[in-house]
Amino acid sequence: MPDFKAEIRERLSSLSLAPARENEIAEELAQHLEDQYEQAVDRGATEEEARLAVLTQFNETDPLAQSLRRVERRVPQNPIQMGTERKTNMISDLRQDIRYGLRMFLKNPGFTAIAVLALALGIGANSAIFSVVNALLLRPLPYKDPSQLVVIWENAAHLGFPKNTPSPANFLDWQKQSTMFETMAAFAERSFNLTGIGEPERLDGRRVSANLFSLLGVKPILGRTFVPDEDKPGTKVALLNESLWKRRFGSDPNVVGRSLALNGESYTVVGVLPSSVRLPAFGNWRDQVWVPLAFPAEEAAARGNHFLEVIGRMKPGVSLQQARAEMETIAARLAQQYPEHNTRIGSVVNPLHEEIVGNMKPALLILLGAVAFVLLIACANVANLLLARAAARHKEIALRLALGADRRRLTKQLLVESVMLSLFGAGVGLALALAGLRVLTRFIPADVAHAEMITIDGKVMIFTLLVAVVTGLVFGLAPASQATHFNLNDTLKEGGRDSGAGPRGKRLRSALVIAEVAVSFILLIGAGLLINSFMHLRNLDPGFRADHLLALNVDLSETKYPDNPRRVAFFDEVVRRVQALPAVRSVAVAGNLPFTYNGDSMPIGVEGVPDPPPDQHPDVIYRAIGPGYFSTMGIPLVRGRDFTEQDNLDADLAVVVSEKTAKYYWPNADPIGKRLKNGSTTQEGPWRTVIGVVKDVRQNDFIAEPKMQMYFTYRQLKSLMPNALVVRTAVDPLSLATSVRNAIWAVDKDQTVANVDSMEHIVAGAVARQRFSMLLLAIFAGVALVLAAVGIYGVMSYSVAQQTREIGIRMALGAQRGDVLKMTIKQGLRLVGFGLLIGLVVAFILTRVMASLLFGISATDPITFLTISLVLLAVAMLASYIPSVRAMRVDPMVALRYQ
Amino acid sequence: MAYMASPILDRELKKGSAELLILSLVEDRPRHGYDIGQLIELRSRGALRFNVASLYPLLYRLEKRGWIRGRWVEKTGQRRRRYYRLTPAGAKILKAQREGWREFVEAIGLITGIQHA
Repeated sequence: MPDFKAEIRERLSSLSLAPARENEIAEELAQHLEDQYEQAVDRGATEEEARLAVLTQFNETDPLAQSLRRVERRVPQNPIQMGTERKTNMISDLRQDIRYGLRMFLKNPGFTAIAVLALALGIGANSAIFSVVNALLLRPLPYKDPSQLVVIWENAAHLGFPKNTPSPANFLDWQKQSTMFETMAAFAERSFNLTGIGEPERLDGRRVSANLFSLLGVKPILGRTFVPDEDKPGTKVALLNESLWKRRFGSDPNVVGRSLALNGESYTVVGVLPSSVRLPAFGNWRDQVWVPLAFPAEEAAARGNHFLEVIGRMKPGVSLQQARAEMETIAARLAQQYPEHNTRIGSVVNPLHEEIVGNMKPALLILLGAVAFVLLIACANVANLLLARAAARHKEIALRLALGADRRRLTKQLLVESVMLSLFGAGVGLALALAGLRVLTRFIPADVAHAEMITIDGKVMIFTLLVAVVTGLVFGLAPASQATHFNLNDTLKEGGRDSGAGPRGKRLRSALVIAEVAVSFILLIGAGLLINSFMHLRNLDPGFRADHLLALNVDLSETKYPDNPRRVAFFDEVVRRVQALPAVRSVAVAGNLPFTYNGDSMPIGVEGVPDPPPDQHPDVIYRAIGPGYFSTMGIPLVRGRDFTEQDNLDADLAVVVSEKTAKYYWPNADPIGKRLKNGSTTQEGPWRTVIGVVKDVRQNDFIAEPKMQMYFTYRQLKSLMPNALVVRTAVDPLSLATSVRNAIWAVDKDQTVANVDSMEHIVAGAVARQRFSMLLLAIFAGVALVLAAVGIYGVMSYSVAQQTREIGIRMALGAQRGDVLKMTIKQGLRLVGFGLLIGLVVAFILTRVMASLLFGISATDPITFLTISLVLLAVAMLASYIPSVRAMRVDPMVALRYQ
Repeated sequence: MAYMASPILDRELKKGSAELLILSLVEDRPRHGYDIGQLIELRSRGALRFNVASLYPLLYRLEKRGWIRGRWVEKTGQRRRRYYRLTPAGAKILKAQREGWREFVEAIGLITGIQHA
């Protein structure tokens, strides 16, 4: 039977019917023809005669196609897309590309997951660090016109205090003489014992100029701020912090007008301020309560007593330079007027924002750079993945090109795919950032202001979106252009064999590996330097033994313990009770514990030593302590003896000096028995005899060298009060916190006990900043290392797979497995070596910006550089070893048949 | 081969009456295309014949107008065939066309003296 279907199809072809319809017609008509054919054959026609007879029906004047054309609906042709129509097709093209991309992702879930994860790590790290930068550096302070606010210091750089706290008399003169400022306000830290409602509590607080809050533009939640009239001695009014108001007063709306017992005196609450008010503070000082500064007359006249901090609001239109120039003029005038105190004392005017966030700035910017590097590595990895996949998709792309797709359109489609990938990555990355921030904020040093503002807000979202799009373009561009530019003819002739293995693809992949290695090397160097300097810091001797040491603040009320005998009696009883507790080795009264307070300081006059001129007269830090302090703290006594209980008001006044003080004043003599007094030799006041010399103790941090120090026993002091207790324990010091507190309350139930902490924790807080930057950079460097290792591994696996045939031939010709291993590893190491070299040069230049974060090592520390090089080399070796071993196991027969 | 009408008459007849013929043939029961072609040839004693190239376009046109409906039917032991049956709309048209045709033939007879058989 002839194939009538085919005959009919041929005649229908000009109609371009829908295929199903064409089939149907062909089937129906063919049946008819077959029936006729069979009939003709039955009647005796030959097959050929029958066939011709049947087919003559089509040769008449009214051919099939023509009649059918009038009846049948034709399939609408796809409109031919001309280049000029591109604009109007953008949206539909994009939608098409997105759908296509989604299909591709679903088809390769493994690829998609790895790419999205790598991008999520990179983008998430960026979002997290950016939200920190956003909150701490970019967001304006919560005050009125914050750009006009400045902090003003005295400059006593020649004495080692480039930013010294101004004295009241100087501040009052600044206030009177300046014209560039609308107002100036001062404040000073002061702690308060809150009693009378529940447990006694020690509160951080400040004395502030009455105009401070109106200067800042802070609106109270309740009541009002201070009025100028209240800025005089004797007014007992207070402002509460929102958090204290909530915590201790249950957000009582009628708290205004209530009276409070602060340091044993009654204060009237006039208002509540929002907790967003954060004045620049040292350490973790958190203002809970504010009272007017109210200088007593003798304090207002004091020019040598430096304890204020000053904020000024510049008049609108006044520049920082103008304000600085004026303050310098005023300082010079004061230096002439009061040479005794103000010689060589200048001024420093800094924007408030810089004062609050300035010290975090270098670390944050370096971290921002670090996460950008992590993202770059992630990009390189995904680009590598895309390259490998582009090779696999070669046939698809070649076919589409051959069918007339235009290269630009294809490139665009591949770019849409990569941007989609990075947007997915950004989505997952934001989730990672959110989780990461929760952990991160726990490590943010306590003294960083506004840390509570770190959140993922609109700005962070926009930043993430931008990063994602740029990222998608960056890692997509090279593979996309690579994927669409090749010789079509060759590819199709090769039957779609992988031509991404061409020299161009290989070069690109190698370049990516080199870049990855270089960038991760730089990151690792950065992290290595920080870790190294952190170790340096931690290994420094603070001057005492911080382990098994409990510290707590015991601030005595001046009204309850106004004189020496009452204070001595209180502390004697406390020491007796604490000493009796089990697991307590020793206990001592202390004042201004190291690493919690800068320490008060003053110049001293030494018998037999001429006073230096005022501008060269160094300060000595002094502390009021009790007997047993040195042994309890573990501060070694170098010469002489410790204080005893007999060193009291009836005995000779005694003093213990630090080694540094001893060396400065008695470089060639035994200081024991020598005498010194406060201020200078000519000043009024009693002489004190040196009874001992102790090792130097660091003050606030490990970075500054210890200053000169001396110790008095509180038993011989009439005004200065010790404010702390240190307890050396046989067990975990914090486990004794409650029993020590109870021992104190057994002596005085109203006595506040605050900041109960282990000394180890306090010392660790001093390196919190360093730990924070080190930890983050180390994490990012770790991520970078893993990503780079994955990248090297991927490229090596790929290139080994490409060489399977070559390896097979070599092995068939008698190459040993070791030779093959050597060959492939050598290839990997060559790339890594290149990357290392580039990284080395760039790191050498870049790490200089870290100099301010480093301690004890240089930014080009050779040991760090060497160690990191070795680490990276080892990781790279491993990453190329695994695929090489696989190559080595190749069966020559299989390898030869490959491809 | 059977006698064939002159090409002119053939075309005129088809144009004028082919629809009527097909609708009449599927009136009492569904038939497939070959069956229809055979019946026309048979009942006209060979005077009328459709070839494939004109029969099927006509069937498709009638189907498209909704006068007949084709349906593939599979019977055991046979290949499937497309059977056409008259739709209600087709029945109305058939009735009207029959009427018109009878009037036309009568008129011709009255004029030409040819008696209705």
